Amino acid sequence: MKNLVFFFIILALISCRKEKVGFNPTPYNLIKPTHFPNMVIPEDNPLTKEGVELGRFLFYEKRLSGDNTMSCASCHFPQNGFSDPNQFSIGIDGIAGTRQSMALVNLGWESFFFWDGRETTLEGQILEPIPNPIEMHQSWKDAVSKLNADVNYRNHFFRAFNEEGIDSIKVAKAIAQFLRTLISSESKFDIMYKYENGLTLSSNEQALFQSIDPEEWAGYDLFKSLNGADCFHCHNGPLMRVKKFSNNGLIPNSINDFGRAIVTNNPEDNYKFKVPTLRNIALTAPYMHDGRFATLDEVIEHYSSGIHMSPTIDPLIEFGSQGGVQLDAQEKYLLKKFLLTLTDNNFINNPNFKDPN
Amino acid sequence: MSKFVFYFLFLMIIIISCKKKDPEPQPVDNYLKITIQPTYMNNGIENAVLDSIYTTPEGYKVKFTDIKFFITKMKNGDNDLFESAILDYREFGNLLFRGIGDFNKFSSLQGYIGVDSVLNHSDPSAFPNESPLNISNAGTMHWGWNPGYIFINLEGKVDTIPDAINNLDHSFSFHIGTDTYRKDFYFSNVNWQTVSTTEKLFPLKLDLWKFLHSPWSPIDLKTEFLTHTASGQQALTIKVVSNFQQALTTY
Repeated sequence: MKNLVFFFIILALISCRKEKVGFNPTPYNLIKPTHFPNMVIPEDNPLTKEGVELGRFLFYEKRLSGDNTMSCASCHFPQNGFSDPNQFSIGIDGIAGTRQSMALVNLGWESFFFWDGRETTLEGQILEPIPNPIEMHQSWKDAVSKLNADVNYRNHFFRAFNEEGIDSIKVAKAIAQFLRTLISSESKFDIMYKYENGLTLSSNEQALFQSIDPEEWAGYDLFKSLNGADCFHCHNGPLMRVKKFSNNGLIPNSINDFGRAIVTNNPEDNYKFKVPTLRNIALTAPYMHDGRFATLDEVIEHYSSGIHMSPTIDPLIEFGSQGGVQLDAQEKYLLKKFLLTLTDNNFINNPNFKDPN
Repeated sequence: MSKFVFYFLFLMIIIISCKKKDPEPQPVDNYLKITIQPTYMNNGIENAVLDSIYTTPEGYKVKFTDIKFFITKMKNGDNDLFESAILDYREFGNLLFRGIGDFNKFSSLQGYIGVDSVLNHSDPSAFPNESPLNISNAGTMHWGWNPGYIFINLEGKVDTIPDAINNLDHSFSFHIGTDTYRKDFYFSNVNWQTVSTTEKLFPLKLDLWKFLHSPWSPIDLKTEFLTHTASGQQALTIKVVSNFQQALTTY
């Protein structure tokens, strides 16, 4: 009799158990471009299909802003290489920032974020814009509360993290997973890089290789030439940048932004900013940390004749004392031709990166 | 009674068999560490500090802003210590290498400044994540155009006008690479210093005073301030490599 009662109690408990969404995370098969280094993914945030999918929804989620009008994508437009065509992004209260929104590309290989490098993890970077009063201006508590009110999100989060409940860390982790999939590696430049380094080209790449015209090659030579444009010191390798902060000879802007020195408190870092990638550069205007240059021509002119010398100028701006590398009109034309080879249309048009709604 | 004895014995057997074994002593790893301390002035005693201003014998003001170089194939005979290491003074201070090893096997050491031609022409993305040669770690120390690694990277600023104003607006950059300029070194009778019971240290120094002001081939930063190992820069390239080799010494 006793056993029978016990059996019924167990049966009742099992039958009354709340139905849960299953947790079967599927590892996300991130395809590393053959000419890229391995991506170091944090052990506590492995990529899963569920996490990446959730991150994609969150990236385009306007409820993360105080008045439900702004998402991450509001300042990082896919068609602009996930950057902002405006000089400064405008937050929900109509307040403009003081630095240009950086392009979100190949972030899985970055080890510091923002123009001043104040964040050292992608997850940490993502935590900033939502509570920032001049950006999305919403406390994490409110943002999480809005997501919690949506049963779809509750299910999404459970599928991604195997836990009830949503918090800012999980939001950041999911968005970071999505951002790590934003890989650009299929431009004409990639073919040139592979060819130059003796790496095997696929048949599709062979076809693209044939389409690279002599002016683009000449522009590339100029880009790498010590006595030409001399760009390669800072824009190098498959990621088209080096990991460093540099004062590239800009005249300080009206707010006298000290850049990296704000983080380090070291005057040797005055006016130094993160060296950005040049990938998709034709799509990511305006340029520089303050978006002061509207076109690539202005950028080329800066390095050609507009260098402003200062105590912390990068020693690798070797012709700085002459105002720049002094390119003639033909050289500027060729250099621009090369810069256009950095556009990766497969990346820009990738349906997996677009708004899922 | 016999039942009691049986249960007692059974219990004892279980207790004995379940007794936790004493943990076997784990072998202790012995670490070897190599540091290379850049020095300048005072006969090589004073440690060089990046961004600090020094005065050269010519009266120039000079500061170093970046000191990086690759050391590879460090070994003693058939005993390999490491394949490649980078000294990045700004990022990691004077630490070149720390790893497991038996100092008895390394009573002398030989190696190279720079990387061999095989490594130099390999895909820089294909090295393991932890390798200093991986493009993610090498960063500015890999040339896209050469292609290959920068073996030695010394950068800084100089004021060659001897007045009271420290106007260091003149840059110098010594970027040495290409297969030709890999250089070897050899230290006999390596004196491993005891840091702890499990760690030994071999401290080296890079005497930047000797590097710049070699009595045989001094570098005049007023006129000799730039080499990327390009054609037309051979004379300075050879001088930089040779002086660097001489400047890498024991204490």
